Amino acid sequence: MASITLSGIGKSYGKVDILKQLDLSIADGEFISFLGPSGCGKSTLLYCISGLEDINTGTIAFDGQDMTELSPRERNIALVFQDYALYPHMAVRDNIAFPLRQQKVTPDLIRRQVDWAAETLGLEALLDRLPNELSGGQRQRVAVGRAIVRNPAALLMDEPLSNLDASLRVRMRSEIRRLQRELKMTVIFVTHDQEEALVLSDRIAVMKDGVIQQVASPMTVYKEPANQFVASFIGSPQMNFLPSALAGRNDNGGTIIGIRPHDLSPAAAGRADGISLTGELAFVESAGPIHFLEVMVGDHMVKGACADPSGLTPGAQLTLTADPRSACFFDAQSGNRIKPQ
Amino acid sequence: MVFAGHKLTTALDTSVTIRRKTRRVPAFSYGAVAPALLIVFLVAGLPLLYSLYLSFNTTNPITKRWVFVGLGNYAKLLDNAEFWGALGRTAYFAVISVAGTTILGTIIALVLNERFPGRGLLRSAVLVPWAMAPVAIGVLWSFVFAGSFGLLNGLLNDLGLSFLTAAWLGDGFRALNLVALTHVWNQAPLTALMILSGLQSMPGNLHKAAILDGAGPIRRFFSITLPWLKSSYLFIAIIATINALMTFDILLIMTRGGPGTATTVLSWLGYLQSFSFLRFGEGAAILYVLTLASLALAIIYFFIFRQRRSAEHMMDGATPSEMAWHAKRAQRNAMVTLPAYRPHSLLPARVTRVLAPALFALVAIVIFLWSVLPVLALILMSLSPAADLIRTPATVIPTTLTFDNFISVLAAEGHTTSAQAKRVPLSLMNSFIVGAIVSVINVALGTLAGYAFARHAKERFFAGSLWALMLTRMIPGLTLVLPFFITFKTLGLLDTRMALVISYSSFLLPLSAWMMKATFESVPISLDRAALVDGCSRFAMLIKVLLPVVRPGVIAAAIFCFLVSWNEFLFALILTSTPKAQTIPVVISGFLNQAQFYEYGPLFAASVLSIIPPVVVAFFFQRYLVQGALSGAVKG
Repeated sequence: MASITLSGIGKSYGKVDILKQLDLSIADGEFISFLGPSGCGKSTLLYCISGLEDINTGTIAFDGQDMTELSPRERNIALVFQDYALYPHMAVRDNIAFPLRQQKVTPDLIRRQVDWAAETLGLEALLDRLPNELSGGQRQRVAVGRAIVRNPAALLMDEPLSNLDASLRVRMRSEIRRLQRELKMTVIFVTHDQEEALVLSDRIAVMKDGVIQQVASPMTVYKEPANQFVASFIGSPQMNFLPSALAGRNDNGGTIIGIRPHDLSPAAAGRADGISLTGELAFVESAGPIHFLEVMVGDHMVKGACADPSGLTPGAQLTLTADPRSACFFDAQSGNRIKPQ
Repeated sequence: MVFAGHKLTTALDTSVTIRRKTRRVPAFSYGAVAPALLIVFLVAGLPLLYSLYLSFNTTNPITKRWVFVGLGNYAKLLDNAEFWGALGRTAYFAVISVAGTTILGTIIALVLNERFPGRGLLRSAVLVPWAMAPVAIGVLWSFVFAGSFGLLNGLLNDLGLSFLTAAWLGDGFRALNLVALTHVWNQAPLTALMILSGLQSMPGNLHKAAILDGAGPIRRFFSITLPWLKSSYLFIAIIATINALMTFDILLIMTRGGPGTATTVLSWLGYLQSFSFLRFGEGAAILYVLTLASLALAIIYFFIFRQRRSAEHMMDGATPSEMAWHAKRAQRNAMVTLPAYRPHSLLPARVTRVLAPALFALVAIVIFLWSVLPVLALILMSLSPAADLIRTPATVIPTTLTFDNFISVLAAEGHTTSAQAKRVPLSLMNSFIVGAIVSVINVALGTLAGYAFARHAKERFFAGSLWALMLTRMIPGLTLVLPFFITFKTLGLLDTRMALVISYSSFLLPLSAWMMKATFESVPISLDRAALVDGCSRFAMLIKVLLPVVRPGVIAAAIFCFLVSWNEFLFALILTSTPKAQTIPVVISGFLNQAQFYEYGPLFAASVLSIIPPVVVAFFFQRYLVQGALSGAVKG
């Protein structure tokens, strides 16, 4: 496995800039996610690293060695595609063995390595099946097997879980994390699902319009978002953004305050310390263990949360409060977060 | 909310059960296919049976008496050395054609599958040899290979290679190969289109995955592309074989079975027996052997297609064993330590980055020239003064360019124009009228039938009759033309445009029904249901709601039918004899039968006029042509 250093990566299709001057260092054995809305350039960046796409500017280095001019096969990168891209006419065994055959590994080693991969991924019983005789989850595991079997410099995954149903996705998620720890792989995981990124990653690179907005550990990205975009993209339901005047601050409208719904709860009677917002309760949305409250504060719909909605009636006045330490402040002009003094 | 949702589910459940109980094919659908099926039975089924009956008889050309001889004609064939010779040549011709079209078609398809500037132009250019009339192709290539005035010899003279000149079609074996080459030139685009559609259905990530797995371009072609195309190749081979068996038009123009019997294949032998020696029974027997060979291939095609359909099944969701695996946390084997991988390319990346596009461009240019150069030569010759075309030694450089040839065929004046040239304007009109009428009739009936076939493809009756339609498309035209000739003679329909309209429907109606079925299959059935719920009758639904949606498909079918009709030669040759009904391919071939010297100038001018509609379609309505080619692939 290798460390990866990207410096000054630029990529454009015609006049459209897909990636703009990207810099990023990925440590050996790190699990990093590229997270962002569709069209933000995260998959393109992945293909650039693999060598399937050329870059216009910048350099790509593995373990300090410049790879920019090398062809994909010379980079020894493995990629798990969103649609798995299993070779339809080859049995599972041959799919997994294919990269090893290209490396002219001896048949005996190939057999042992394929057996290892099959055992690691629980594919022993499926080795002689064709891809179209497998379920979605099984295909996904074969794709992973084909990727890890040859000790790649790095494992790249392009939304590998998005074609699975919800419960399988959660299980495969933990399997991938376990495998990565076990094999100490450098993994780059592209996703638009913030939950996947939060659960899996050592670090998350949040991208928008070809620019990395923030690279940090999942909890940092969640608690200390670099800007309003990151704050809005991470966390569900979305963070409330309010002019700070609403929350009782007077700074000439220069800042926006961001509070996550989970941090806003109905105030106990008579108490209103910290940030408090009062308005008419419009709607109670029950999501199992937690209930979301939509409160009309001024002309802003603010979302809060509580564990027990009994006694709350839509139409009544309600005050929500939050600990000021949980709130984020953003510059209204640039959208960047203002670090607390 | 919850309550309402529950109610909704129950309502849906009931509607499903009700629908199941009453699900039967509406009478409207039977009505929609009835005209098409009836007509196809009359114009294809009955003639086929009649032809079978003819093959059990022999006629005395002088007394015109029919004698029933049972399998006698077939038995005689077994003792006939001519038959065995023709059979061998047919097999040879088929093998060369199939190999040639497949290899060339694959290369063309691989090039067209890439993105590059000028791809649209190349795709249009490539289609031209296939879209133009076989008669024009025959005229063009027989002049290319002609002995004293030929284009190839002229080119060799101009290049100072006179010692290489030859009477190309004079040597028997060489003539057979050159006719096969011409056939390949004509048919390779069809193969290319079919392979291209296979290539485009291939998930793009397969090749990306293989690149990352370390496979080079050649390895990827053999390990990924070829296996993906395997099933397509089987169909392509079968269709190409049938098309090779039916080859007739270019043979008639180029060699007429000669020199000697060197290019006498079964179709030519059957034609000779029936229409030159008027031994209808014997001729029918030979053509029936050809028909049976095609039908055998068609049946193989049918079974393979069936199997492939049923093999398309998928499993999804987690299986019990998968669940067990997720629960299991057993000790696992250690990973193997692989030998260090030092991949190296043959050439540095910088070099391949320059070399690969250059090589690709070269191949693309060669394909372009291969497709277009002969056609440009035909146009150049049509613009050359008549005297230029009969110079010796031959040369390809015209002394001057002139429209004289076109003037002499289009605006015939006085005695300077021959009788044959005077027929050209009328024949263009005949071609146009026949094409327009058959297109309207067949597309109208084909649309009705195509709708019912698309919506009830699983019902036994519709599936069966659809395959019957499919099989009719594999009957060689030669087998049908003999019964048509005899029937139309009796009915007094010989030499009328009506005869052409009727006989063309025998292959155009199945073709348009098949094309329209494919079109309707892309329209969601919910649109039908919405229209019915909104109070349309089934007929109004088809006309008011579905027809506007499938209009591009209707246009494609109409253009394709027109083009096939415009290019058709065999039926027109046998069933018409005077300018009253002769179409342009017949008039072009008529130039070659004139007793006096070949009128090359007007001949080429007429040929160029005949390829205008196909070329226009190839360049401006290419989409429709491709659609027709893919769904109507069988009728090359």
